[in-house]
Amino acid sequence: MTTLTDRYVWAASRSVPESQRTDLERELRERIGDATDALVETGRAPADAERMALVELGDPAALAASYVDRPLQLIGPRYYLMWWRLLKLLYSVVLPIAVAAVAFAEILSGADVGEVIGSAVGVGFSLAVHLGFWTTLAFAVLERSPGKGADLAWTPDMLPQLPELSRPGRRGELIGSLVFLGIFALVLVWQQFGLPWVGALEAIPLLDPELWSFWIPYFLALIVLEMLFAIAIYAWGWTWWLVVANLVLNVAFVVPALWLFTTGQLINPEALEAMGWPWGDAGDVIVPVFVAVVIGVAVWDVIDGVIKTVRGRGGAMPTLGRT
Amino acid sequence: MGTDETTAGHLQELRRGTVVLACLIRLRTPDYGYALLESLNGLGITVDANTLYPLLRRLEKQALLTSEWNTDEARPRKFYRTSTEGERLAEVLTADWHLIDEALRRLTTGDER
Repeated sequence: MTTLTDRYVWAASRSVPESQRTDLERELRERIGDATDALVETGRAPADAERMALVELGDPAALAASYVDRPLQLIGPRYYLMWWRLLKLLYSVVLPIAVAAVAFAEILSGADVGEVIGSAVGVGFSLAVHLGFWTTLAFAVLERSPGKGADLAWTPDMLPQLPELSRPGRRGELIGSLVFLGIFALVLVWQQFGLPWVGALEAIPLLDPELWSFWIPYFLALIVLEMLFAIAIYAWGWTWWLVVANLVLNVAFVVPALWLFTTGQLINPEALEAMGWPWGDAGDVIVPVFVAVVIGVAVWDVIDGVIKTVRGRGGAMPTLGRT
Repeated sequence: MGTDETTAGHLQELRRGTVVLACLIRLRTPDYGYALLESLNGLGITVDANTLYPLLRRLEKQALLTSEWNTDEARPRKFYRTSTEGERLAEVLTADWHLIDEALRRLTTGDER
C-alpha cells in the first residue's frame, strides 16, 4: 500500500535530475518522518500527523524547484526590464510598419476597403502574437540557461533629458515644421491656378481638379492636424501617445496619396499631356522611385519619433538610443 | 494588525542572518535537521522548518557544512557538521555581531565617540 509520503516523495523527485533524486528522496523521508513523529507525540493520530506534515512542506513541485535552484517565474528581475523594453520597441516599430505595408499592398492590388482592413487586422494580430511569444520564449530560455548571461548594464548615458533642457532644441523643429507645412498647404491650393515656374503648366492645374470634391480638402485638413501635432511635440515632448498619433497621421497621408498616384487619379490628365508624359521609358523608373521615397520618408519619420521617445524617456536601446 | 505584521516582518529580517551564525556554532557537534530545529527553537532562536532545511542545504553547497548519512537507525538521517571554512565564517560573523551590538549600544546611550 502506498502512503501519502510515498506519493509526495515521488511527486517531488520526478522533476529533479536523476543524479540528485536519491538524495532528495532520502532527505524528504527523513524530514517528513521526523515532523510526523513530533506531531504524533503531541497526541495526534498518525494519519492526521502525516497529512499535516505534508501540508507544511507545501507543493512538491515548488520544493523540488528550490532544491535544484530552478526559477519559479517565467522571467525574473534580471531580465524583466530588458524583455519589457524590447517588447515595447518591437510593438511600436515592427508592428505598425508591417500592418501599413500589408494595407498598402492590398490597396495596390485593388482590394476593397473591407478586405484591406480585414487583412491588416489579421496580419497585425498574428504578428503581435508571434512577436510576444517568441520574445518571451527567448527570455524564458535565457532565464533558465546557466551562467551569468549577457547583462545589458544600465549606464548613466541612458538617463532622459529633463523637459526644460530639451525644449530649446525643439523650438527649431517646431518652426521648421510649421513653415514646411504652411508652404505645402499653399502649394496644394496654388497649383489649381498653374505653376508659373514650370513652363508647361503656367495655366493648367497639376492635380486632378476632381480631387477638390474630397481629397484636396482631406489633405488640407491633414496638414492642419500635422501643425497641431508639431505644436503638441513642442509643448509636451515625445510620448508614446504622440508616437502613435504620428504613425496614424503618416498612414493617413501616405496610403491615400499613393493610392491616388498609382491608380492615376492624382495628376491632372491635361497636365500630363502638357508635360509630354510619359517621358519614354523614364516612367517605369520614376513611378517606383517616387513610391519608395514617399514610403521611406514616412517610415523614417515614425522611427525617428520612436527613437526620440525612447531617448527622452531614458529607455535602454543600446544600439539606437545613443548617438 | 498592520503594525503587528510590520513588526513581524522586520523581526524576521533582523534575525535572518543570525540563524546562519547559530547553525554554524551549534553544528560544531554534528546533528540532523529536526534535532537542530528543536534545539534552536528551544534556545529562543525561532526558525521555521521551511527555512531551516533549505538553509542547511545551501550552507552545505557553499562548503560551510559537511554532511554524512547515518543509517544506524531505522530512519536514515543526514548529519551536518560545521567545516573548517564554516568555522572561519562563524568567527567573522561573531566579531561583526559584537561590533553591531557595540554600535547600537553607543547609539542608544548617545555616546557617539
